[in-house]
Amino acid sequence: MASTFQFLDDIAVADLAFEASGGSIQEVFQGATNAVIESLANPDTIGATWQQAVGREDEDPAALLFDWLSDLVYWKDAAGVVFSKADVRLTQHAAGVWKLNARLYGEPVNGSTQELRADVKGVTKHLYRLARDGERWTARVILDV
Amino acid sequence: MKLNTHMRVTRISNEVWEIAPSEKPGMLVPARIYATPAILESMDSGVFEQVTNVACLPGIRRYALCMPDGHWGYGFPIGGVAAFDVRSGIISPGGVGYDINCGMRLIRTDLSHEDVKPRLEQLMTELFRRVPAGVGASGFVRLDRSSFEQVMINGARWCIEQGFGWHRDLECIEEGGCIAGTDPSKVSDHAVSRGINQLGTLGSGNHYLEVQVAASDRVFDKDIAAAWGITGHDQIVVMVHCGSRGFGHQVASDYLKVFEKAMRGYGISVKDQQLACAPFQSVEGQDYFAAMNCAANTAFANRQVITHQIREAFSSVFGLSAEEMGMELVYDVAHNIAKVERYPEGELVVHRKGATRALGPGSADLTPRYRATGQPVICGGSMETGSYLLVGTEGAMRETFASTMHGAGRTMSRAQAKKTIRGDQVQRQMKQHGILVKAVSLSGLAEEAGFAYKAISEVVDSVDRAGITKTVAELRPIGNIKG
Repeated sequence: MASTFQFLDDIAVADLAFEASGGSIQEVFQGATNAVIESLANPDTIGATWQQAVGREDEDPAALLFDWLSDLVYWKDAAGVVFSKADVRLTQHAAGVWKLNARLYGEPVNGSTQELRADVKGVTKHLYRLARDGERWTARVILDV
Repeated sequence: MKLNTHMRVTRISNEVWEIAPSEKPGMLVPARIYATPAILESMDSGVFEQVTNVACLPGIRRYALCMPDGHWGYGFPIGGVAAFDVRSGIISPGGVGYDINCGMRLIRTDLSHEDVKPRLEQLMTELFRRVPAGVGASGFVRLDRSSFEQVMINGARWCIEQGFGWHRDLECIEEGGCIAGTDPSKVSDHAVSRGINQLGTLGSGNHYLEVQVAASDRVFDKDIAAAWGITGHDQIVVMVHCGSRGFGHQVASDYLKVFEKAMRGYGISVKDQQLACAPFQSVEGQDYFAAMNCAANTAFANRQVITHQIREAFSSVFGLSAEEMGMELVYDVAHNIAKVERYPEGELVVHRKGATRALGPGSADLTPRYRATGQPVICGGSMETGSYLLVGTEGAMRETFASTMHGAGRTMSRAQAKKTIRGDQVQRQMKQHGILVKAVSLSGLAEEAGFAYKAISEVVDSVDRAGITKTVAELRPIGNIKG
């Protein structure tokens, strides 16, 4: 099962809600990452002249996902970029600590060549959820725009 | 009436409705909603749940309130107002909103629609060029950390010192555009990195810059309007809606995390994680208040720099100075903020989230310029339906902690709006209605289509009939810039 995401119509009237899913925790992280990237701009219109490595770890995978998605929003503002893709790698270490190693690809914002979308201001905890049901992982996230 | 709640809602008057503390365990005060019956029926279930959750927070006084433009928000509903005792009460980022000091600014001109119409395309292009909007936009003001801290401390005053505006502008901004009680050391490096390049930018979502017309037959209180420089006769005015951008959002996010942990130590439990709070007098509470004030001042500065750019754009298009075109501020008002204010109960921390301060005539908190009339209240509608200029009343000071509505309020989700219409269709339809739109994102434009919002005229009518503001003028859009 590959990572997927879909935007939800009826959860957040003023903001953007999505549900990501996958057959593994890594896939659901990737799906949620792709949803945030697509919320900001059409990734097909974005180059990869800018790169940033991000590493994080947490015992709680839900907290790790929340902080990682917040990193995307942070780099969007701090570096003034939008993203074409992000490679996300997730491993579980001894003592149950989850470790995320990711590389973000993008380029500085340029409205004349890029299809820009919403200026996501942050990830919220309203109805926030990362859950496992058998072999399927799902994440529900609401972005403040 | 069929309402989206199982709780019993009692009619106090045709525009005021109450939910008693007996309707939810833990409520310390009643919840009151200001709305006409039709608006009350259209309110989503989140409003009823959230306003009654707010009524459970420690130290709340009198009522938890929601204005007629209320809808579901994070923790507090949008349109929410609540006041907490400064000694025994709390402060909550969820009661302020992520976009700290998101607010409205209105600039008058001596120009008429007839003057502007032939050059509207040129004007909107120039405004679009000078006021960056949309995702990742950065402004022309280059700051280092030290000068950004001066922005946090001095707000719009810093802008005036740098030549981005006129000294008299400060009289026309809530709190003179500079709130005391800041401490930049309480702001994270992350917040600084997000905000340092964003001064003078509009953002996206429901933020906009709009060129509007005040027609004589839509000026309802000519004396008050005239006192504020609104003369009608198809007069051109400019409205700005934006806030503290990524900086304010990071401050809110940082302190939500701090408060989630701190609450346990203070023995506070809340009905919703996004109501995380701390006692106002606690270290965490005071730290957030100081950081929030930094973000509030940055928002005042943001709108001031944008005003400077608007004046420059008009000057370059019409070949006159901004002074020659009479481009004075009518007012600038916050609608996402917490402030310490004095009421009969004593000093209270008044949280307004998607709600506007509405001081009535004679208020000692108003500068002499507005003391006779009461405070201007600027309410933005959808980009298709127009906006309103209102005035604060004694009724608001008596009943609602001097608070009223802030805008139209959404009724349809962004995702649903995009499925209903495309951005280019919205742009074309608006042009047919005489409104020229410049947008960074066409999908963002579709999300902001007029049908996704309540009819603002009915929302304004609610607060007028409830006596918490009076309608002064309706302002019709002719040009709009969106992120």
